[in-house]
Amino acid sequence: VTLETKRIIVFVLSLLFLISLLFVQQREVARRRAEAGLEQAQVAVPANSVDCVDCHRETTPGIIEHWQGSTHAEKGVGCVECHQANAGEADLFSHYGAQIASVVTPLDCSRCHQQVYEEFQRSHHAAGGNILASLDNFLAETVEGFRGQFDPHSPTPGGGVGARVNGMASAQSGCQQCHGSKVGLLTTDGGKLTVDDLKPGPDGKPTNTAALEQVQKTAEGKPLLHPGTWPNTGIGRINLDGSLGSCSACHSRHDFSPRRARQPENCGKCHLGPDHPQKEIYEESKHGVAYRDLIDDMNLDADDWVLGEDYSAAPTCATCHMSGNLRNGGRITHDPGERISWTNRPPISLRMDTNDKHKVVTETDPAKRAALIADTWQQKRTRMQEVCSTCHTADYVNNFYQQYDDFVQLYNEKFAKPGKQIVDSLRAEGLITKAEFDEEIEWTWYYLWHHEGRRARHGTSMMAPDYAHWHGMFEVSERFYMELVPQALELAEQAEHAGHAGGAKVRAVVEGILARPEHRWKDHAQAAGTAPAGSAPAAGTPPGAKGETKPH
Amino acid sequence: MASVAAWFKERVPLSGAELAELTNEPVPNHLKRWWWCLGGTPAYLFVVQILSGILLAFYYEPAPQTAYDSVRYITEEAAFGWFLRGIHKWGATLMVAAVVLHQMRVYFTGAYRKPRELNWMVGMCLLVCTLVVGFTGYSLVYEQLSYWGATVGANIADSVPVLGSWAKQMLLGGEVYNDRTLSRFFILHAAVLPVVMIALLAVHIGLIRLQGVTEFRFADEDSSRPKHFPFFPDHLLSELAIGLVLMILLSVLATVLPVEMGPRADPFSTPEVIKPEWFFYVAFRWLKLFSGTFAVLSMGLIVFLMFVWPFIDARLRRNRPSEASVWIGILAVLAIVGLTVWEAAVAH
Repeated sequence: VTLETKRIIVFVLSLLFLISLLFVQQREVARRRAEAGLEQAQVAVPANSVDCVDCHRETTPGIIEHWQGSTHAEKGVGCVECHQANAGEADLFSHYGAQIASVVTPLDCSRCHQQVYEEFQRSHHAAGGNILASLDNFLAETVEGFRGQFDPHSPTPGGGVGARVNGMASAQSGCQQCHGSKVGLLTTDGGKLTVDDLKPGPDGKPTNTAALEQVQKTAEGKPLLHPGTWPNTGIGRINLDGSLGSCSACHSRHDFSPRRARQPENCGKCHLGPDHPQKEIYEESKHGVAYRDLIDDMNLDADDWVLGEDYSAAPTCATCHMSGNLRNGGRITHDPGERISWTNRPPISLRMDTNDKHKVVTETDPAKRAALIADTWQQKRTRMQEVCSTCHTADYVNNFYQQYDDFVQLYNEKFAKPGKQIVDSLRAEGLITKAEFDEEIEWTWYYLWHHEGRRARHGTSMMAPDYAHWHGMFEVSERFYMELVPQALELAEQAEHAGHAGGAKVRAVVEGILARPEHRWKDHAQAAGTAPAGSAPAAGTPPGAKGETKPH
Repeated sequence: MASVAAWFKERVPLSGAELAELTNEPVPNHLKRWWWCLGGTPAYLFVVQILSGILLAFYYEPAPQTAYDSVRYITEEAAFGWFLRGIHKWGATLMVAAVVLHQMRVYFTGAYRKPRELNWMVGMCLLVCTLVVGFTGYSLVYEQLSYWGATVGANIADSVPVLGSWAKQMLLGGEVYNDRTLSRFFILHAAVLPVVMIALLAVHIGLIRLQGVTEFRFADEDSSRPKHFPFFPDHLLSELAIGLVLMILLSVLATVLPVEMGPRADPFSTPEVIKPEWFFYVAFRWLKLFSGTFAVLSMGLIVFLMFVWPFIDARLRRNRPSEASVWIGILAVLAIVGLTVWEAAVAH
């Protein structure tokens, strides 16, 4: 071998080595970037999902893209693992040889995430579908819509969407997209089969299999889902297998992103708007301001995302209500109620003492109440304070809770209980009907507690002063004094004119409330002929007015 | 000025002419071709590694509780820390690559043959030191790769009969990875190995100086021209030009492909994929192909054969000129490249 040949050998082998080095470094850099969370990890499609991926890459490429970026894909969890269905399941169908179902329920997820499933099933989130029997639902189904279908009253230029009007459209597109639908299979007569008809057992399979014969199917044999109930990712969805909720409400289907579930924008799909503007409240709070500023320091891609360990720049909704923190050993919960000490959802806020079924105890007798409580509001508060204390001292946290408790109590005692008492007395005396929303005062009361009252309480609970005051208590008080009380007195007066004895009783209730020290400012101001705010007691202030603002 | 020169001359009795004689070794013409100058490249990169390493050591804290955060501080907060870390990391990669290229050139041109057998062995020692310094280096970051790489490395050492458990103990400072392991790695990486390498380099260059560079004469060279050219300034300028190109390359790599922070080491969570740095891919793939003690011992045997190759080669060539070494070399390089690419291409 001549020196020239050797030169060529050295050249060729060196070139080969350098080219291989380029390839190796490219792989190495890609792997490091993936480890650092900067790039999608290399995904090997599991053998049982190769056909699904190949076909759906053409038909629904977005789904495949989402899945490929998921932790599921990284860990070898493919299409079949989640969509697989067993013989006997209501929505099972054979799809190119695989037995699958379209709707993946929490029961399906529990095959791998059992503890998360149990926490979630007992949560208030999972019970969101109970709205089906609530005032809000009555509004959407009856006041805004119609429980059934009706004929259009005139033609729509360009053509209508159907022969008849779907009266449930508002409930289906509004309420149920957050609270969850009762998923139904479409029947051959256009009706639906839900969990009520199927009566599933603990394994999720229907016990009333005869009902399945009515299900409408495609030529392929795929059972059709009722369009009024699906698509739906409401967090309290009531599924065909009897499980509650939808994991994709927070984790988004196919990419199942923990990163997204950690961000307040995710919760903002539902927790916003005039009746419970938690998202806007959070944005107003210092917590939200810090989050917006320091989002780059939030380490949102961390595996465990433990407050005080993986990040401490700012808390999000998930931080306080669900995620792990340094104080609790990083324990995550999928039951956000575990850390909430007041429920501000009802007209009158309640302490979050819960029973063994995780329901709020409403019993008022102390002894009976104590016997029913499985988890006290104090225990829940302690759990939340573990989060707070990552960044705040005990005094700071305790004083905040004092402010919060004081506020809720003020709302409860000055407006919520009296407001409810007035409306209840009107109904008890027959001055208004038992039906909701057919009289103006019912709308007034609903605005007071459901919109303004909640805004006030939520504003305080999450430290947003404008929501606590201007969007909250200011509007509560305006609604109470300028609308609720005058409307109640007018109804009482009309009744009195009509010779109805209930009129005097209602008037007595209203006047009794207004005679309380916290409500007498109006009499004093009117007697003084001046606005009271900030002014010294004017001449003519009734004797005894001073010092009468003590709680009764 | 003259008095200052005289003051120095009195204390350092070396004239300019003697200094020129010492440094200005005649360099064979083939070294005008820059790709024959790869011996100087690892030495140059070694200097870069020492300088960038000293700067990194200002911030690095070698304890499990602090190591990761100190590296994160360097990477994300310290001024130009990301750049220095990038230079150090890519410098290591280029240094290993340059050593391999240098060794390939020496091998295929038979430059290890008599009387340069000892220098080949010194070079082999430098190769091993380079790899070990690389191993201890990425172990310092205290990422998952660092922790589990060190654990796997220790377990490999443990599978060596007789000396294995002692080697593992020496490496980890205990039965398992513990609080003292990192400081051990740090001292090896930042003090012991560099000093050993400096000493070996001194011997390596000293032997080259004593024996001269192996001379090659290509067919297309004009035989009437001088066979040599001066080291200073001609060859030194070539080396400087290579050095500057290397600095540009390093800067580009450190900037375009900055070093990221991997996940923090978690002794309770074995990563699904454990891979060492790329220069161990060949060994790692070998270990996967032949599991257990056989793999480790066979690898040790291969390294030993590489050490004593000049003598094996002499034996092969004792009776008649043999080119077996060329073919063995081609096979070896193909095997190294193949195993490395294989390991890089697969997830597990």
